[in-house]
Amino acid sequence: MQKEEVFTDLIREHQALLYKVTSIYTDKKEDQEDLFQEIVFQLWKYFDSFRNDSKITTWMYRVAMNTAITFVKKKKRRPDSVSVADVFITQSDYKDDVLEEQLKLLYQQLQHLNTLEKGLIFLLLEGKSYKEIAQITGLSDSNVGTKISRIKKKLKTNMTKQ
Amino acid sequence: MDIEELQSAWTQMSNELNQQKKLTNQIILDMTKQKYQNKFTTITKYETLGALICFAIAFFILINFQKLDTWYLQVCGILTLSFLIVLPAMVLSTLKRIKNIDILNGSYKDNLKLYLKTKNRLLRLQQIGIAVGFIGLVFIVPVTSKIISNKNVFLTSLKTEQYLIFAITMVAMVFFCKWAYNGYLKVTRSAQELLQDLE
Repeated sequence: MQKEEVFTDLIREHQALLYKVTSIYTDKKEDQEDLFQEIVFQLWKYFDSFRNDSKITTWMYRVAMNTAITFVKKKKRRPDSVSVADVFITQSDYKDDVLEEQLKLLYQQLQHLNTLEKGLIFLLLEGKSYKEIAQITGLSDSNVGTKISRIKKKLKTNMTKQ
Repeated sequence: MDIEELQSAWTQMSNELNQQKKLTNQIILDMTKQKYQNKFTTITKYETLGALICFAIAFFILINFQKLDTWYLQVCGILTLSFLIVLPAMVLSTLKRIKNIDILNGSYKDNLKLYLKTKNRLLRLQQIGIAVGFIGLVFIVPVTSKIISNKNVFLTSLKTEQYLIFAITMVAMVFFCKWAYNGYLKVTRSAQELLQDLE
């Protein structure tokens, strides 16, 4: 199989992961599209350097999140990105009204977190263990634990306020 | 809503997203290519607009060419027309070539070679454009003056304020050319880095 084919299969397989990263770090649809494109480009750029010493998804999370952090820092609009509008689903696309409402609340809560906190809670929501989160973020296991419990407290306080 | 509910909503969303496989191979590859092409999009927009203005002025001169009634005004007219048509067309064609480099399918070495060659051509064209722009004032002014106000500047002595306007135009052009050329250098340098990154 050609490199391009392997790469495109990988992106298609894990497009949900990329979508979720973009939705966590940006709130405007245009920014999401730009970030999505930037992540795909960065994954392609470093595709050859991926070694099988970690899971492919661990590598993808790491690249996607690092790209998102840099993107948020730059917060620079890029002109004329490939239109991926059709591939994005918006909150209004969900058929379940309760879910739609819950997601709205969830994203509202996430807006109160800083970049690192967003990343950690995202990985936790993705069902990652502290060990995996440590692998992806480069933090120590214990540090991950401490930070996550602080974030949980912060979220709880915010949610009870509302 | 508590943390567990957030988790459950997230999982439900993930499941829905996992069922959606809307991206096609072509979109994914296009995203990668587009990133490179975007580097030149702004330049291309300005150049296209500039070229359209040049072509419109050239058309205007062409339909009024009979007003240039002396041989030296006609020479100035031909030089102006060549400047207004040839240079923008060459810049646009070079930009098109540079944007169309296939960064995914061609070999890295060939792409970089082609890119550097085209980039040098583009920058050389810009240098020529800047130089000709200054010299061009000498033959563009008589042509436009004759066509618009029916004045032969070679036979009329210029007033002080006209010299002043000429001098101010020259100074403004120096700054504009410097700014535009630096912009070109920046974009081409960053596109080159992008290509090198793809190694």
